Amino acid sequence: MYFTNLKVKIGNLTFLFVTHITNGTGPKLSATRAYLSGFKSNLSLEKLYPTSRLDITTIPKAPESKDGKFSGYIPMDKIQVNYVRSGGPGGQNVNCVSTKTEIRFHLASADWIPEPIRVKLAERVKNQISKEGYFIIKSERTRSQQLNLADTLDKLRNLIHSVAQSLVVPEVSQETLEKQRRLRERAARERLREKRAHSMTKQGRQSPTLDS
Amino acid sequence: MAGMGNRVLAGTDRALDLLRELPRLSLSNIRSNPKAFKRNKRGRGQHGGKKHGAGNKGSGQRQNFMRLGYETGNNPFYLRVPKEPYYKGHHLRREYPPISLMQLQTLIDTGRLDTSKPIDLSALCNTKLFQLSPLENQYGFQLTDEGLDNFKGRVNIEVQYASEQVISAIERNGGVITTAFYDAPSLIAMRDPMKFFASGNPIPKRQMPPENAVEYYTDPKNRGYLADPDLIALERFKLAQKYGYELPDLKKDPELLPMMLERKDPRQIFFGLNPGWLVNLKDKKIFEPEDEQLLEYFRS
Repeated sequence: MYFTNLKVKIGNLTFLFVTHITNGTGPKLSATRAYLSGFKSNLSLEKLYPTSRLDITTIPKAPESKDGKFSGYIPMDKIQVNYVRSGGPGGQNVNCVSTKTEIRFHLASADWIPEPIRVKLAERVKNQISKEGYFIIKSERTRSQQLNLADTLDKLRNLIHSVAQSLVVPEVSQETLEKQRRLRERAARERLREKRAHSMTKQGRQSPTLDS
Repeated sequence: MAGMGNRVLAGTDRALDLLRELPRLSLSNIRSNPKAFKRNKRGRGQHGGKKHGAGNKGSGQRQNFMRLGYETGNNPFYLRVPKEPYYKGHHLRREYPPISLMQLQTLIDTGRLDTSKPIDLSALCNTKLFQLSPLENQYGFQLTDEGLDNFKGRVNIEVQYASEQVISAIERNGGVITTAFYDAPSLIAMRDPMKFFASGNPIPKRQMPPENAVEYYTDPKNRGYLADPDLIALERFKLAQKYGYELPDLKKDPELLPMMLERKDPRQIFFGLNPGWLVNLKDKKIFEPEDEQLLEYFRS
């Protein structure tokens, strides 16, 4: 950068006359920093977030599914996505545009789903598993492929989650079990008391017998 | 006149004689015709004197009025007619004219937009295909999801609003999208940069978004320009999981990376130009302020 120091007065303001001349090769490109960003105000991101690394390119590590709990991460390289034509009315558009989204993966060898969940899931969705063992989920909910794909993944996640929930046996404390037993017995006693009272009422409506 | 004998003096002669004797006309010896001006017959009281504008007798003069809007018993207008506040606060609502992803793809395919440089509002207005009138409450462009499935461009784009699926469409192709706010004077400068530079005004500093927009532009989910970039990276990953694509690693392309990372400072309007600078295109010179106060103002 070459610049001269010539002061120019415009109105009440003094301006410094600076000639910005760049060389022919252009600005130096850094591997990680943006190349034009020179100006940093008091409201720049560095000042707003001083503890941040200010890097949007970092890809976080995928959360692992461990201890039999599903983390929610679905590896897209293990899933096959297929786009086909949707059904229903729609004329030329529905006949030509592939908006129905289908995802399939081999359920038995899906390591990213914990074993107990996988087994229970296979039982739950046995009608949606092909002969080769591929679990298929379809969606033609919206008019867009991408939104339908999001819908299929949403369905898959919800399925896995509900299966995981059904596997969880809640740990009940001894006190709670005792309390539940006492409540059940009290309810039974109360019911029998009312039954007896009702029986007396009904007997009272009978005509008296001549027994001494 | 003596030499005229016993002739009776005519009216004109008498008038002329009189005129010879009378003094010169001036403001002090003329009078307007009667009833030419109306005399102000004002009473002298505080509220206009005499009857004080209250008329004669009746409830009017006795100041015993019914409440405003009362229609002597029948259902008054202000109760009869319901409120229909369709346009309440409409002058405060910001508008964002749409640009669809389909249009954006067409612009890229036909070469109207250069994907090797960051695309911002100026680049979109320079295509001369989109008009923006900040004086009619238009605060920039929004990217709509028409053409979502077929979008294949790899761009670094900055708009004012984009929905989640649009953000996913841009990012799945290896691009970067940012949502940024520009105030009206900045927009007027941006939509026709050549005209602005020709006007001879220094580049203004961009103002912060209004209160009801701060939350939007500081949210990493919306890729706001005031959001923490680390949180944006996390949201990119989450969106990739939601919409079912592998998040492309931007670092795999070292030549394009600096362009993809290019972002304006929150006070900046043009890429590579600071607020406060005066651009002279004719002589190809840029003037910078030297005064400490000015520098502090434009930096703050």
